[in-house]
Amino acid sequence: MQNPELLKKPGLTLADRIDRIKSKNSFSLLFPFIVLVFIVLLFGVLTKMEFYKMSVIISIFNQSLIVGTIAVGVSFIYSTGDIDFSVGNVMGLAATIGALSYQFTNNMVVLIMVTVAVGTLLMLFNCTLSLIFNVKSAMVAIIAMILYGAITTELVGVDTLKVDYILCRALESDGFRYVSFILYFVIAVVIFHYTAIGRKLRFIGGNEECAKQSGISFRKSKYIGFLIAGIGVGLAGVFQIARSGSVTSSVGSGMGMDVMLATVLGGMSIFGGAKSNAYSGFLGALTVSALNKGLLMVGISASIIQGVRGLIFLLLVFLNSERPSTLPSRQQF
Amino acid sequence: MAEKGEILMEVKELYKNFGVTIAVDHVDLCIRRGEILGLIGENGSGKSTITSIIAGIHQATSGQMFYMGEKWKPGTSLEASKRGVGIIVQEVGTIASISVAENIFIGEYKHFKKGPFIQKKKMNREAGEVLKNIGVEGIDPSKPTFTYNIEQRKLIEIAKIMAAAPELILVDETSTALSESGRKIMYEMIHNATQSNKAVVFISHDLEELMEHCDRLTILRDGKVIDNIERNNFDPDDIKRKMIGREMATEYYRSDYDGYSEEVVLEADCITTMENLLCFNLELHKGEILGIGGLSECGMHTLGRALYGLEDVVDGEVRITSSNTVVDRPDTAFKNGMGYVSKNRDRESLELDASIRANIQSTGYKINRILGPFISSKKERDYAGRQVDALEIKSNSINQPVRTLSGGNKQKVVFGKWIAEDADILILDCPTRGVDIGVKAAMYNLIYSMKKAGKSIIIISEELPELCGMSDRLLILREGKISGSFLRSDGYDNEKLIEAMI
Repeated sequence: MQNPELLKKPGLTLADRIDRIKSKNSFSLLFPFIVLVFIVLLFGVLTKMEFYKMSVIISIFNQSLIVGTIAVGVSFIYSTGDIDFSVGNVMGLAATIGALSYQFTNNMVVLIMVTVAVGTLLMLFNCTLSLIFNVKSAMVAIIAMILYGAITTELVGVDTLKVDYILCRALESDGFRYVSFILYFVIAVVIFHYTAIGRKLRFIGGNEECAKQSGISFRKSKYIGFLIAGIGVGLAGVFQIARSGSVTSSVGSGMGMDVMLATVLGGMSIFGGAKSNAYSGFLGALTVSALNKGLLMVGISASIIQGVRGLIFLLLVFLNSERPSTLPSRQQF
Repeated sequence: MAEKGEILMEVKELYKNFGVTIAVDHVDLCIRRGEILGLIGENGSGKSTITSIIAGIHQATSGQMFYMGEKWKPGTSLEASKRGVGIIVQEVGTIASISVAENIFIGEYKHFKKGPFIQKKKMNREAGEVLKNIGVEGIDPSKPTFTYNIEQRKLIEIAKIMAAAPELILVDETSTALSESGRKIMYEMIHNATQSNKAVVFISHDLEELMEHCDRLTILRDGKVIDNIERNNFDPDDIKRKMIGREMATEYYRSDYDGYSEEVVLEADCITTMENLLCFNLELHKGEILGIGGLSECGMHTLGRALYGLEDVVDGEVRITSSNTVVDRPDTAFKNGMGYVSKNRDRESLELDASIRANIQSTGYKINRILGPFISSKKERDYAGRQVDALEIKSNSINQPVRTLSGGNKQKVVFGKWIAEDADILILDCPTRGVDIGVKAAMYNLIYSMKKAGKSIIIISEELPELCGMSDRLLILREGKISGSFLRSDGYDNEKLIEAMI
């Protein structure tokens, strides 16, 4: 049944060739990396190597850190075929309460602990609601977004919540961010790819009914997914405080969409399933901020950047979209 | 006027590949009016692919087709259906969330338009007539399709095809989803069609069925036409040999009369479910193959689900006797060494987009651990690889998505998953549905060797020969109650079995 000759057959249209390349397994795995490398090389040439300065690279990394951390966590939810776009608001509320706790205690450790704990608890609360009402988390997220946004606004008030400048410098430069991010990232990837947890989440995303029949507890897996996501969201809240030194009432709003976009650009489907992974979100976040920085550096005005970005994303999503050619599908209508 | 024997559809040099897999390899076919053409071959021989290309579901890579003398290249199955080529697909061909009538007249809604509105009443009435014409009873066209079971949905699909008054009807492995009465309706439909000089292409794994109804058989193997045989030359052994390409043992059921141990491993103690079962009792013994048969509506499928904790048991309980565990959830069942193969393979037993490997290893997350919670990729690969080799699953690689496999090979993956896990109690709901004889023989062998190893197996099936061939004990269900209990040692009497069923 195998015929390697087929791949070399002449007379194929361009569309056929693209399809053929796209349907290769290694392609979807490598494509996001190739895009990132391409962007880095392109802007390296366009900016006459300015792009490779340490300061530029650090700034790109810093910009992608918050969205990237959330995206790594949320991939544990996406892989089950569910979506939670309230994560931005969860992060905002966690950061707000964390900042308040600092104002009372003046203790950096308390700030970190409280922020992470609040992020985790809120995500677990989302999960519980979705299980109690037996609806998808996406539904819960709509309500959670409004609710958490309102609480944040109420807590912050008209002013912004300021956090001690020295503390923020310390959080930003003392390597805390890098160490904690890398630790979280590595642990998440290991859990996702080398333990049963990741496999079960993917299996649920691929076929929930089949997963149940294979002895996987849906509730348990879902809670574990939200727990890991919550820790990531809380951690991102700490990064958020460190970055801006203050918390405003609009913090984190809309970030749920950025996370989704980053995940898709990183090469993972937000509909979960067999090909899910834990690193795509971070890869996508890096790609977005590299693109932003590069476009700015070559002197494209901010308003045009939006448009250019939109076009590039469209192209990337098209190239990355899944249209496998398979044997007769059993469900035609 | 169309005459009998006139060529309706001609297929020349049809070729189709999916990636590096060649599904159809330069096939020539000729379909005449007034004729039932049977397509037969092992799983993956290209039968379904040929019919789905004719029906516009797939496009051929190369080759030509002629329909009523004109070039034929439909882009979609809707286009094909409008021009008189209808297909009944192997699995679900209806949309669950819309009404029966809407399914039957899908793509034809404009006939029921009055101004901007669709006249639902008219549509329902006409759908009711279509159902009545083919002899289907008990289906309300205004109800949503999901309220009906697989067999009824299949009949709705048949009605849908007939509503379009096709010239050429393609029936892809439908019999296995139908009970005796459903099959009767289908046979009647295809014979009526050929009597009015239409043509039928009929795919089935059941050779006897094909020999009974077809005028001509085309045998396929590995995407190639091996032979065309006219009705008066039908010889089952010859056909089997050509299908498989080698000699085939005629007997593939077990021939022994070994008993089973007295020890009860699983019992259902007066269980009542929301549907079908009322205070149902059952005992399964160690080393026993327990067959459960009956008409498709008798409650046997619900029983299988209830035993595995998939059904809400409102009263009574299912117990694993050795540990005195109550099975009320599938994960409890799984943890205690049970396995379940669903009747609805694609929907419930497989993750279609995942690889063969990922599907098989899904039962082995615990077994394949290497250190604490960490899973060894190598162990997993071996775990799945052993089953792929032992069951001879036809694939290019272990990483191939299950969706791309043929029906029988998919079923092998499901089997492999549970064999790999070494379940002690296995519940098999229609395990050989849509599977060819070669694979069937392998599966019966496996089931028998599992019995030998002291496992307990429940086979739920609509095929009496299979139940008689394999079971130590055979229960026949009627309306949720045991209407007959038979022992292998007494010999099974077909008439008594059927009497218990009806």
